[in-house]
Parts: sequence; structure tokens; C-alpha cells
Amino acid sequence: MTAQSSASAPLPPARASSGVAKLVVPSVIGALVALTLGIYGRLHHPTGIAINIAGFSSPGYVKSWLATGATVFALVQVGSALVMYGKVPRVTAPPWIGGLHRWSGRIAFLLAVPVAIHCLYALGFQDYSTRVLIHSLLGCAFFGAFTVKMLILPKRGLPGWVLPLAGALVFILLIAIWLTSAYWFFSTFGIKR
Amino acid sequence: MKRNTPLITLLTGAALGIVLLIASMLATPSNAPAGYSATVPSTPSATSAPASTPPAAPSSAAESPSAPSPSAPSPSASTAYAGAPAQADYAGKVSGGGASVAVAVHGSQVIAYVCNGSTVEAWLKGTVKAGRVVMTGKNHAQLSADSAVDSAVTMMAGDVTAHGTHYSFSVPMAQKPSGLYEATATVRGATIKAGWIVLADGTQVGSLETDAGSAAPSAIQAPRLDVATGTAEYDGTILHATLISGATGSGF
Repeated sequence: MTAQSSASAPLPPARASSGVAKLVVPSVIGALVALTLGIYGRLHHPTGIAINIAGFSSPGYVKSWLATGATVFALVQVGSALVMYGKVPRVTAPPWIGGLHRWSGRIAFLLAVPVAIHCLYALGFQDYSTRVLIHSLLGCAFFGAFTVKMLILPKRGLPGWVLPLAGALVFILLIAIWLTSAYWFFSTFGIKR
Repeated sequence: MKRNTPLITLLTGAALGIVLLIASMLATPSNAPAGYSATVPSTPSATSAPASTPPAAPSSAAESPSAPSPSAPSPSASTAYAGAPAQADYAGKVSGGGASVAVAVHGSQVIAYVCNGSTVEAWLKGTVKAGRVVMTGKNHAQLSADSAVDSAVTMMAGDVTAHGTHYSFSVPMAQKPSGLYEATATVRGATIKAGWIVLADGTQVGSLETDAGSAAPSAIQAPRLDVATGTAEYDGTILHATLISGATGSGF
């Protein structure tokens, strides 16, 4: 693994136009991922139960805490990205900032996966309230957006705004998902284990 | 990048997801797609952790495919959402197990009751259209849910709010004696209304409104209902409970 301490620098303008074309295939794949999750969630009959994790008082709490963990790591993502791009005044990017960004992202993603599986399997794609509909839609979109981000990272020749935009989109989606689920859950049932 | 590590991250997540999905499928024998017989054990096999939520749901769902209620339509093998049977009863614990909910559908009319066996409870009335149930009750109680038939198991899933408390639920169809019972009486000048939800495993949960005529009734734990006789005793008075069943039209 190359020691990449900052995201790829903006490329000379002459290659920018073909750079965007490289986004097409990842975007299509991301869209297919989002669609597949949504269609599965809609067609699969929700069972109301799925595997549980010991130590929590209910699956709702398991998911809310895991989702909150993912969101905390997502905040680390944004913070480290800002430092990497030199956007934080008076803070220079230390050599480990890239590693922090990558690993916090991996952890956030891997925490989100069990939550999403439980959600899709036990509850399904639901639309009986606005909150639930938004959550279902954005939940699918998040994994599509994350797929896109992972697929475009190794690409050379992308315009400089692409990675920050992809990262911002993933972040905004996760925050909105967290607000329509864990945040609502803790507000309704209280913050406890 | 020498190695495509983002792709590795993505594939690791996908692999984790598939493993969890398979583990979840193994943990829900009675709701598995057609091909599993209805005689699979009713306790979900725990994987690496204790068994999960509404224990009443899988055990009663295991019973319903083998003895469908006479008024239910023949089970559909489709896994897509389909409308609920026109007369049906659903009962089970809410997600997290903190309360129980029972919904009785009779044509386009629906009666529901949610209770946690003490102060959180509400009676709701509403309508059903194309499988979507929308109901309201006293003191801002609300319920909205959808029903669907999948491989001989009919479930009703949605949200209910009662006494300021919000629950999500996904409960299977119920058959007598599992179901919803109600008793109203005047005891020492006060109108009381009790509701009991009897689950398929025989357990019951019930609350009793001590001032049922009020706009925001307060409730206590109901006395135990003797399901065989349909009676319970409260404050020296015998309460006679009626079954509220959409399948038979009782209570509508």
C-alpha cells in the first residue's frame, strides 16, 4: 500500500474533460447497488427479527448505537479530509492523517453494514411515515454513494472536486440516515444500552 | 495505489453483509421462503448471540402456516407486498418486547389495542384500504401499518403511539384463543374498560382503564383473564370479556 498522505492533487485542465467520463461506470455501479438494496428491501417480506448482538437491551438499541458509532467515525472522516485538503487554519496535515482518514472510513462503513442488513431483513423498505420513507431511500443511496467513492478513489485523471464531492455526499447521506433512525430512536425511547 | 484497497474495503463490507444476511435467514426458520416445512422448530437458532426480538412472533408464525384460519384466503407464495385478508386478526409483541399490540381487521373497519401491561395502552379505531391500516385513539394515540402475505405467513407491520410512547411492530396473524379481549363495566360508579392481548404462546398482557369515559384515560395492570371462561375479577366485580375478532366479526 502506498503511503498516501493526501488526496490526489488537482490535475492540469487539459485532462479534466476525460476525467469526468471515468465517473460514468462507477456511478452506474453505485446506482445499481442502491437499486438492488431498495428492490430487495421492498420485495423481501420483513421478518421482524434478525440475529441479535448480546449486551444491548433490544435490536433497536444495537442498531442505534452501531449507527451512532459509524456517524462518529464519519465525523472523523470529514475532519481528517479538511486537514488533508489544508482547509483547517494553522493545522498542517501530519503524515498519519491519510491513514486516519482511510481507517476511520473503513470502520464507519463496516459498522453500518450490520445495521443495514438488520434493517433490510427485519424491517424492509417502508413508507408508512415520512421519516421511514426518507430513511429507506437514503439508506439505499448511501451504499450506492459509498460504492462510487470506493470505485473512483484509485482512478487517476479526475478533476479535483470529485473526491471531496463524493465524500461530502456520503457524509450527508449518513447523517440524514442517522437523524431518521438512531436520533429518532434515542429521542423516543431514551438513551440507554 | 499498488493494491486497490478501496475495492478490498468494499468487498469486505459486501462479504460481511452476505454473512449477516445468511445468519439472519438461519435465525428465522418460520419465515423462510417456500421450501421450508411448517414444522421447523419455533425457537430461532441463536448464532453467536442470544435469541433476538419478539419471541412471540416466530413461535406464533410457526403455528399459523400449519393451521390457517378458516376465513383467511389460500396462502400466497408471492414475496411481494399484497393486500391483507379482509377479515383477520393479528397479535404479537412490539419490537423490543416492551408491549404487545393486537389488530382486528373486519372488512374496511379495524380495531386495535396496544398495551404494556400497565400504564401505556390505547384503544384505536380506523380503516384499512389496500392493506394500509390507519387508526387513531384517545390522547393522541395513532397507529399506521401495512400487512403482507408471504409464503403462508401474514404479518402486519407498522408504528403505534400510545400514551406518548412509540413502538414499531411486525406481528403475525393470530388464531383463537390468541387475540384481543375487551371488557367494559361500571364499578362503583366509574366506567372501566379492560383490554387483554393473548399471545399464541399462551401469555397474556392486559391493562385496565380506571376512567374509560375520560378523554385521556389512565390505566393500570389488568387482572388476569381466564381465557377459558372469558372472565376476570376486578375490585370484587366479575368482568366478562368479549373477543374482538375481525375474522368472526365479534366485537364489531
